[in-house]
Parts: sequence; C-alpha cells; structure tokens
Amino acid sequence: MARLELEQLDCWYGKTHAVDHIDLVVEDGELCVLLGPSGCGKTSTLRMIAGFVQPAAGEIYLDGQPISHLYPGDRNIAMVFQSYALYPHKTVREHFIFPLIPAKIPKHEIEQRVNETADFLDMHDLLDRYPSELSSGQQQRVAIGRALIRRPQLFLLDEPLNNLDEHLRVEMRANLRKMQQDLRITTVYVTHDQVEAQALGDKIVVMDMGHIRQVGSPQEIYLHPSDLFVAGFIGTPPMNFINCRLERGESQVVLRNTHFSLPIQAPLAARTESLAEGKELILGVRPEHIRVKSQPEEGAIPTEVYVLEPQSNELILDLKLGDLMIKARDDKRELGFRPEVGQRVWIEFLQDYVHLFDRETEQRLGG
Amino acid sequence: MKILKRVLGVVLALFVAAMFLFPLLWVVLASFKTKLELLAVPPVFIFQPTLQNYINAFNSDFPMQVRNSLIIAISSTVISIILGSLTAYGFSRYAIKGSDFLQFWILSLRMLPAIAVVVPFYLVFRMLGLLDTHIALILVYCLFNISFAVWVLKGFFDEIPLELEEAAMLDGYSPPQVFLRVALPLARSGLATTAVFCLIQSLNEFLLAVSLTTRVAETAPVGLSKVQTLMGVDWGLLSAASVLFMLPIVIFTIIVRNELVRGMSFGRMK
Repeated sequence: MARLELEQLDCWYGKTHAVDHIDLVVEDGELCVLLGPSGCGKTSTLRMIAGFVQPAAGEIYLDGQPISHLYPGDRNIAMVFQSYALYPHKTVREHFIFPLIPAKIPKHEIEQRVNETADFLDMHDLLDRYPSELSSGQQQRVAIGRALIRRPQLFLLDEPLNNLDEHLRVEMRANLRKMQQDLRITTVYVTHDQVEAQALGDKIVVMDMGHIRQVGSPQEIYLHPSDLFVAGFIGTPPMNFINCRLERGESQVVLRNTHFSLPIQAPLAARTESLAEGKELILGVRPEHIRVKSQPEEGAIPTEVYVLEPQSNELILDLKLGDLMIKARDDKRELGFRPEVGQRVWIEFLQDYVHLFDRETEQRLGG
Repeated sequence: MKILKRVLGVVLALFVAAMFLFPLLWVVLASFKTKLELLAVPPVFIFQPTLQNYINAFNSDFPMQVRNSLIIAISSTVISIILGSLTAYGFSRYAIKGSDFLQFWILSLRMLPAIAVVVPFYLVFRMLGLLDTHIALILVYCLFNISFAVWVLKGFFDEIPLELEEAAMLDGYSPPQVFLRVALPLARSGLATTAVFCLIQSLNEFLLAVSLTTRVAETAPVGLSKVQTLMGVDWGLLSAASVLFMLPIVIFTIIVRNELVRGMSFGRMK
C-alpha cells in the first residue's frame, strides 16, 4: 500500500513561483502523469516528492506519513532520471547492487535480487558491461532496474523516454505500461508529451504556470477539457479555436462571426442558457471532429484547401476560412474524395464534440 | 593540400617536441659522461657511458635531500588534495554566501609572490621553532597547493551531473557517502591532474625551501644549487642528480597519464 498525497505544496525558485499551492492524490498502484509545457512546475513537483527540493509550504504524505522533512534516502522512493544518471565507472551489475548496500541487504539476497531484476529486464548478458557499452534503450533499462531492485513504495519517472528515438520510445512506452501494471507500484510520471501521457496514465494531471489545470483520466481530459489551456494542450494537431458571439434567434441559438453563423442544437445550446445575448465565446473543435465534404450541404461552412498533410491513413487539411486557418483530420477512406490545394470544400462540426469557452475566463462552459 | 597541411603539422610538432626534449637529452647524456667528455668541443654523442656520476651522487647528501623533497611534496600534495577536494565540493554543490568572493580570495593566495612572504614566514617559523623542519615546508606548500586544488577541482565537480548524486541520495547514501562514492571517483581525472601539478610545484620550489631550511630538511633543488657553488661545478654529478630527481615525477606521470590527458583537456564525462 502506498498512497501519495500532496497538500498545498508550494515552491519558489528565487522570484519564480514554480509550484503554487497544489493538492493532489495518487492512489495506491496508480500511474499518475504530470503533464505540461516546460516551466509548468511538473519537474519541481517531482523533485519535492523525491526530496531534492524543500517545499516552501505544504506537506507530502506517503501512506499517510508526512515525509517532507525526511532525507531523500529515507523516503523509500526510487526514481528514473531523464539522463538515466548512470555512473560511468560502474558496470550494470554494480548499478543494481549500489542501492542495496545502504539498505544492508544480506549478500545472498543481493545475488538473488540482481538475478530477478536481470530476468525481469532481460539483461543477463549485459551485467558486466559499462554504460558506455550499452545502447540508449539498454541504458534506460539499467536505470529502471536500479530503481526497481530496492522495491520502493513510490516510483518517480522524469521524462524517461526523452532521449530515445521515436521507434524505441513507442516500444519502451508499452514496456513501461506493462511493467507498472504487473508490479502495481504507485508511480508519478513527468512528461511534456501528451501522446505519452494519454498512452500511459491512469490519471493525468495537466499543469501550467505552477497550477494544476485539470486532473482526470486520459478520456476525461480529452473529451471534457476544463479550460482553453488544457483543450489546446491535448491532441495533435491541437484543437481549433474560433472566436464568435452568442446570438439568440426566435427558435434557435446561433454562434456568429464574420465568416459564418452556426446554429447550435439542444445539448450544446443548453450550456449557453444562462448567458446574455452578445456574449463573446470561443468555439473549440478538434481536427478529428470536423467532417470535410466536397459538396455544399445544409449548415456546412464553405472553406478553401490551403495545405494538405497526408499521413499514413489520414489526411490533415489546413482550411482557409477568411483570415482563419482551420485544421481538419479525416480518415482517407471516409473522406470519399481526394481534396486538392485550392479546392473549395465544406466543413461540418460534429456538435457532440464541440466545446464552448468563455472568452474572459477561458473556462469551458459546463456539461 | 590536406596532406601537406598534415605533414607540416607533424613537422612542427616534432620541432617543438625536439626543442623541449633537447635539454633533457643533454642532461641524461651528460650524467653518463666523464668530466673530459663533458667539456669536449664539439660535444660527443657517442661514448663509453660511466656510472661514476651516479655513484658520486649516491654518496653525497643528495639521497637525503631527495627523501626530504619527497616527504614534503607528497605530504603537502595529499593534504592539499584532501582539503582542496572537500572545499571545492562545498563550493560546487552548496549555496554559500559570498561564494564568488571567497573563491577568488582563495585563488588570490596563489598569486602571492613567494618573495613577499619569505621574511614573514621565516620570522613566524623561527618563533614556532619550526625552522629547518619538514612541517614548515609542508605547511607553506599547502598554502599554495590548496588554493590551486580548490580552483581546479571545483571545475571538475561542477561538471559532474547533479542527477548522479541525487540518484545516490535516493538510494540511501548520506551526503558524505555521496561525496566519497560518487563525486570523488567521477572527479578522478581532476584529482590526478591536481596531484601532479601540486607534486611538481612542491618538488621544484626553491626560494622558500632555501630560506626556511638549512641542513636537516634541505630539499633537492636547494642541495643541487649548492653542488654548483661549493665544489666548482661538477656538471656530471649535477646531471646525474637531476636525472634521479626527475624520475619520481616521470614515474608518477606515467602511472596517471590516462587521467592526466583527460584532466588537462577537461574532457566532458559521458
């Protein structure tokens, strides 16, 4: 059992407010991803949990026990660093043994644990090599092995896949997921890569400017982003944001701007009920929730194809709508035609997936 | 063109090396020559070598002076490395108030011209009754060596990624253990470089040694200078003694040569 709890955790670097009184609970066995752009406070949070940085205020509880006054080595936490932090003068075997020495583990058990860890990571043949003789993927496995061999209560990972090439990254991502699910070690994982966060996390914590913007499952974050920042940060290509004004006609609610006037239907319209006529809003729609048609249709908005970015099975279209650029992403087969640059096409927003944000507060309109 | 450049480079390097090595070669040859061969014009390069100069050197005060030199230089180097590495590590890893000023202050000791402090040192050590003792020279050399060691080693500690130490901290190693088991092994090329420089500096030092010692703690450079003055100039003996005196440094340098090359090129660790 290891449940991690952060309570009003606060951190300053000189005059920079790195982490601003955050609260967070990571349940036992959960993999929690701290996600955000660089400088958002995610790494500072991790370093406070590890004990390398003293929080300016607040407390960290592991299993209900406050640990922020403890020396890093007394917290029973292991960490995989972005650079792997391997010692150039130690072999793989020595790396595995190194954390066991201060723990005063008897010799025969050290042997046994090294073997287990080598088995687990499939590293038996590499035990006597030095880090410089290993590939970056193997180096990473050493870093993971060294962290796991102590059987920590909490596992911290700081952008562990950053130094790997694309191919290896996808492979190691799956390995990490499998490993964490097998061992059920409570894990905090820091990354700036939202694809990684989506793939790995039981829970994603989106951070920005030292604040937690949203906590939720990958699906929740994707489907119901709490504000403009989260909405724009999750998803590739990012969500389209279009300024518009709320207008109430006789029978329907309309979003209007200089390029289109879009009547909206019941579920979406209901969210605008409390708002005044003329309220400034931002319409948010993900590229994958825009249907592109070659023929005009009722309610579809005419645009012009500006750039085409073919992917393996999908097509990303940059569409010009007056001075606006809208990205759409569609399956090549479902599209039904081959768009060409300069062609006139009509787009339709899937209203179940359209978000409305208040332009002042940047908050998403509820529901 | 490229080949020409390379050839020119090699020729230049050989020329420079020859310039530096020629005096050494001269001394080594001279140490095996008789007095007559030594003074021959033009100089002879092929001759029947003799060991007489070395035998003479061993029968003089020279072995004792070498012993003094080694005791003083090694003690001073060891003390300087220990204190210097601790101090440098502190400067490198901890936020210390006025750190830059303190570091410069320590380095400035190194800039002190020895001649300026000879008299005060002489008076102080006379008062303490430490004239002509090993301790006096060890202490004085530490003054120069520690400031040098702190300056050089700080650079090496700065280069060790903090994450390597943090990983050890998380593994349960206390700060002193982290220093001993992570930082020191990783800074070993820096330690080797510093040690060689401290050692050479202490072995070569003349001014303070000649002022603070008379007989018992006399070091080799001082002794060699007296060979010149007292018995006319016995160039053969002087050359043999010089060769013998060079040996410890040569041997030590060969032992740590790999570290030394890395250290002097300040190669990044990977």
